[in-house]
Order: sequence, then C-alpha cells, then structure tokens
Amino acid sequence: MTDMLQRLPAPEVAQQLTDDFDGLLTCVEITPITHDVTSFTFALPGGAGLIFAPGQYLTITVEVDGVQLERCYTISSSPAQPERPTITVKRSPDGPVSTWLHDQLRVGDVVSAAGPYGLFSTATHPARKVLFLSAGSGITPLMSMTRAMRDQALVCGSGSGLSGPGLGEPLDIVFVHCARTPDDIIFRAELEALAAGGLAAVTIICQDDSPQEVWQGPRGRLTLGALFAAAPDVLDREVFTCGPPRFMAAVAEHLTLIAADPARSHRESFVLDAGAPASERALSGTSHLVTFARSGVTVECDAATTVLATAASAGLRLPSSCQGGVCGTCKSTLLSGQVDMQQAGGIRQREIDEGKFLPCCSTPLGDLEIDA
Amino acid sequence: MTTLDQTVADSTLTDPTPTNRTPTEAAATAAPAHGIPDPAVLVARRRPGHVLEGPFYTSPEIFALDIDAVYAKQWIFVATEPEIAEPGDYVTIDLGRYSVIVLRDDDGQVRALHNVCRHRGSRVLLEERGSVGNLVCGYHQWTYATDGRLLHAGEQPPEFDKACFGLRQVAVRTVGGLIFICLATSPPEDFDDVADRIEPYLAPHDLANTKVAAQVDLVEHGNWKLVMENNRECYHCEAGHPELTCTFFPTYGFALEDIPARLMPAHARYLKAGVDLARACDERGLPHAEIEELTDRSTGFRIQREPLDGAGESYTRDGKAACRKLLGDLDIPRLGRLSMHTQPNAWFHFQADHVVTFSVLPLAADRTLVRTTWHVHRDAVEGEDYDLDHLTEVWSRTNEQDGEFVARTQAGVSSPAFVPGPYSSSEYQVDALVTWYLQRLQEHLGR
Repeated sequence: MTDMLQRLPAPEVAQQLTDDFDGLLTCVEITPITHDVTSFTFALPGGAGLIFAPGQYLTITVEVDGVQLERCYTISSSPAQPERPTITVKRSPDGPVSTWLHDQLRVGDVVSAAGPYGLFSTATHPARKVLFLSAGSGITPLMSMTRAMRDQALVCGSGSGLSGPGLGEPLDIVFVHCARTPDDIIFRAELEALAAGGLAAVTIICQDDSPQEVWQGPRGRLTLGALFAAAPDVLDREVFTCGPPRFMAAVAEHLTLIAADPARSHRESFVLDAGAPASERALSGTSHLVTFARSGVTVECDAATTVLATAASAGLRLPSSCQGGVCGTCKSTLLSGQVDMQQAGGIRQREIDEGKFLPCCSTPLGDLEIDA
Repeated sequence: MTTLDQTVADSTLTDPTPTNRTPTEAAATAAPAHGIPDPAVLVARRRPGHVLEGPFYTSPEIFALDIDAVYAKQWIFVATEPEIAEPGDYVTIDLGRYSVIVLRDDDGQVRALHNVCRHRGSRVLLEERGSVGNLVCGYHQWTYATDGRLLHAGEQPPEFDKACFGLRQVAVRTVGGLIFICLATSPPEDFDDVADRIEPYLAPHDLANTKVAAQVDLVEHGNWKLVMENNRECYHCEAGHPELTCTFFPTYGFALEDIPARLMPAHARYLKAGVDLARACDERGLPHAEIEELTDRSTGFRIQREPLDGAGESYTRDGKAACRKLLGDLDIPRLGRLSMHTQPNAWFHFQADHVVTFSVLPLAADRTLVRTTWHVHRDAVEGEDYDLDHLTEVWSRTNEQDGEFVARTQAGVSSPAFVPGPYSSSEYQVDALVTWYLQRLQEHLGR
C-alpha cells in the first residue's frame, strides 16, 4: 500500500487519501460498456481519493424495495485515479443489486460503500511477467491491474513500454479474455488499443458470433491448447484468474495438469451478485509428507493426490505410462508408510509383499518414504 | 524368388491364425519360409501408417537392395572434419561391398576415394583410421597421392599412362564441418539446396575447429532401418531413457491433443523453454525455426534449434554444460540443442559446449554400426574443461538402451508371427522415414 502511495501522480490530493473508506459515494459518471454492462464512477466526500490496489473490491450497499442489500464489486479503474473509483457491473436478470444499479442509479445519487478489500492483486503478488485470464465480467479486476501497470509506466516516464517496479525490465502482460459473443466483450476497444500499443499480448476467445458480427478470432472455451498458444511460457508467469466458477475450474484444471506452481496462481471467484469473493485458494483437507529418499526431496501430498502426481509437482520424473495401475512402469519401492493402491494388474501380490507399489494409482494413507 | 501368389498359397497351409485378418495381413506373414516376395510387390503393398513387413528387416536380398538403392545412391554422412584434422588423416568407411577412403589431402581439402587399387583391385588402406603420407597399396606398392593421383607403379611399360589410373573419386561434400559422401556417379543435386539452408544453423558451432573428445562404435543387432526408426520417435523415451529425459523433453513429436496428462508438466516446461530459447536466438541472430522436409526429395532432412530441460545447456543429467569452453563465438551456454537429422543415416545434436554426431552404417541385414562422436572446443583440456565420462554419459547410456530396443525388435520382426502394426501420431517421423525409403526403392526399381 505504501508503494502505491509513492507512485501516485497527484500530490495535491495526497492530504485527502484513504485506504479505509466506509461512507457514502456519489455517482459522478455512468458509462455504458456493452449492452448489459455499465461502469459507475464515484466521488468520495470532500473530493478525497481512495487508495486501493488494483484488483481490490468495494462492498456496496443499496436499498431495494425497502431491503438493505450488500454486494461486492471489483474496482475496474486505475489506482492512478484515486479520486474516481469506478466499478463495472453486468446486469444480471436475477440480481436485484445489479438491476437496481443499472435501472435506478443516476449521476448525483449516493450509495453506501466500504472498502477496499481483497488480496487478489498484482500489488500483492508483483511479477514482471503476468498472465491475466478472465471470462465475462471477471475482466474487471484484471483490467484494473492492466490500467495500473499502464498508468504507472506513464507516471514513471519510462519511455517505451511498461516497466516493473524496481525490476528494471519491461513488464510483460498476456491478457486472455473469454466472452460469449463479440457483443459481450467488455472493454473491447481498450483491449484492442493495449494490443495495438504493444502494452499487452491480447487474446479474445468468443463462444459464438453475435447477430451483428461473425467472430474472426479464436472460438470456443479456454482450452489448454488456447492457453499454450496465448502464453507458451505460462510457467514463467504470475497467473491471475477471474471469471465464473466453470471458467475458474477449467483454468485450475489446466494449471494443475501442467504442474504450474500453485503459489504463482491467484484467483478471484467473481460470482455476480453473490456476496464476497471466495478465498484466494481452496485449501485441501488432509495431507501427508512424502519423502523421495534417493532424491532427498520431501513434499506434502494431499490425501486425494496420487504419489506420482506429487512426484511430478515436486519436479521428480518417475518413469510412468498408463497412470491407471495397468502397466507397472512406475513400480517403486515403498520404504515406509501405507498407501491406498487402486491397481489394475500392474503389480503382483508377491511384489507388493516385497514392498513394491505403483505410485500412479496410490494415494498416501500417512507419511511415506519412497526409494526414488 | 517366390512369387507373391505362390507364397499366399503356401500360407494357407502354414499360417496358424488365418481368420479375422485382411488379405494384406495374411500375405504379410506368409513370406519368410520360402524366400521373400518381389521387392516391388512388398513396396507396393505397404500399408500407409504401418510398420514395414518383416523381410525389409531380415532379408539379405533386401539388404543388398538397400545398399544399391539407398546407400550407394544418396548422400551419406560418414565423418566430421575434426576426425581428419591434418593432411593425410583418413577414415575408411564400408558401405556394403563398397569401401571408401575419406581423407584430407595435402592441400587441406576433404576427399573421398574408392578404396580399390587400380592395379588388381586390392584394398589400399586396411585400417579404420590413421594417417598416411602417400597411399600405398600393400600388394604391389602402387602409390597414390592424397588427392588420388597415381604417383608410382613399378615395372610398368614406358607407354603406361599413370594419369589414367588414379584412385576413383567419390563425390564428397562438407557442410558445417560434417562430411557427406555419395557413391553415385550422379549424386542427388538437391544437396546444394539443403547445404545452403542448414549451413547457417550449423556455422555458429564451428564444428570444423573442434576436436574429437570421444568416439564410440556400437554394433546394434538390428537392421539399419530399425536403428533409424527407433531414433525418429520419442514414444519410447519416457520409460526407456531415464538419463536422456532429464533434459530431452519426452513430448517430442507429440501433437498437443495427443500428449498424455502425465507428460503435460514436461510439455509446459518445453514450451516455456522454447520461448526463452527463441528470444536468446533472436538476440544473437541464430536461426532456430524448424525446417522439415523428410519425404519427396532425395536429401530428406529436418533441422531445428530446440530447448533442453533443466539448465537447458547440454545433454547432461542437470542440463548444465559438460564443457567449460563454448564452441565458436557462442557467448552463453543456454542455447538448447540444434538438432538435425538427414535421411537415411544420421542425426546430430549441436549444443553450445559440445557437438554429438551419429552415423548409422549398415553391416548386414541384422547388424548395424552406430558411430557416435563427441566434439569439444579444440582448446578444451580433458580433466580441466570437461570430464570425459560426464560428457559422454547421457548418449552412451541412451545408445545402449536403444541398442537393446533395436535388438528386441529385430528378434520380433524375424518371427513368422510378426504382423506390421500401426504407428502412433507421435511416430510421424518414423512413417516419413519409411515413406522416404520406399520412394527411393521405387526410384531404383523403376529404372
């Protein structure tokens, strides 16, 4: 947060900055973004500025039909404009708050708000190379981060391109956004400008055409192939993901499959009108320590994860093939501990009696020591 | 030679499992007991995307055909310039009934000469390698200069014209320090084109100014095609080559959709390393893009600079360079592997710190010489700049493992029960090699 303060461009408002707001925001501008997405820009009392990290959200409280309703909305604007925090809201037919904002809120009206909150931010996880993955209105925190990087570069006057905070090398942003149709691409013109200006490598994937436009770019959903095409060096990047649950799940599956470092993957569950975003990462239940004796590596293994997958995530490559307990290629010696092995003929009982097991189809029942 | 019809007829008596198979499969298993079908028939009935029929790997007749149609017609990689660094240095290469002297002449040029004395045909040089002043036939002491000119032939009449009796020249070309020969009187002309395109990839390593750190001749108990086919895919690498896959990405040749989930982490590392490598190459003006023209031309080849896993520098367990002195003007060790293969008999890996070349020379239908040569900077000192065992470990082990796979396959395809199976998509380069080979046979048989 202190870093953000130092980078702010407007010393004249420095006296009136807050990073802990709880009060009334006045709507000062309403900007249509797509047919069902609108940006609402607010002013703080007394022309104060809001210090926030890009990706953080505000809790907005409105009264709908006499009932106080509270929802969280990510700030989509850049922290470089602290006096004009903006949220970008998609109208949800079943969402009373988004509907109210779209239909009732007018410039000059006030709403109750508190914040900013959240740790889903490039400020929390600084990196030179980032990958932003968004779907639908999940783009808002990522656009805030992108705008922050752009504005920061302008403020720093670093000449061509963006530069990282004290990192010396230009920032490298890959932005992949998924939308239903071309009409649903939020911030489309800005994304295209970022791409044209060389500030970010932008890939937009649409599921379908819109009535007015046949989509010329990549189609469908975010597959592993599309991910690799957009960012072959995904393993090099700090990954920030935001979108609907199915999208988040698909991304998580892709990143797990390629053994991306979970510590470098950050996610915001952006569930429209559904309360606070979920915590950053779902923690698993039981885990055990698995030691690969010859390699001298000990890692934590979730009770539901196979020993082979754990070895892979620890950077160990045990020979393997079928992954289903059939071929026996991964056969290893268990020096200590118990496993739940769901084998399919790849190992004989007499081998098991000799201490062998198949890591590909075994999950730990306790701490393990393996001769590998 | 038995005709196809006769063999099919015979097979109905001897084939133990005649049901549930296509006529082609039935015919494929029919052959061995009574000689082989006509090679033209074998070529014509090959099922695309499938392994060749057994006789291609076992028959002495087809082995002889391979020498005539492939090894005596195409450009064959036989040695590197550092192997014959000084004038008079030579290696002799046996290709079927041919023997060729590859040597550096007194002018420093690389030459290739038939190792057949122009007097009564004796082999001139008997050793595999060495260094000579002039080339003297041990039988009657006919003496040739290193460029092949006959200098001395005792007790010949005055009208004897020595100029008519030089050693017969064999076409030879060097590119990037690699020596190729062609036994044909009209060698494939497309080699010029290939040389022009691969030279910029090879040149930065300055192979000609390296020295041979080690050379290992491994006789594999299998047909030369099995040796090459085994090298053209990495389907077997994951389970078969633990040392190699420390750095060689086991998804080599796989389409993304065909990569098993367990190999995805390695593939993701491969793509990331590819991005880093491309940037490093672009910054240095090193070409790295893939060129793959494996079929439909005489000099089929593939070249690409590709990343290595781990430190990304060399074929070692951790991917770090095995030699401290880098080759040529290369300024960083992390330049992956410039990999090339040329049909029909060679593959190459050029790293920043060393170059490994592989030459495959057929000895018999079921035996093949695989010559592996490790090159380091000419000034590198063994024990100081590199450790020989460390330098050679990965490919020595990998070659031994491959030799075992080849021997097992040779034993299997020799069985009357062998039926050619289908290649997987990651084995497309094997299919391309076989396709190229059959194209050469067709050219040859059509003449």
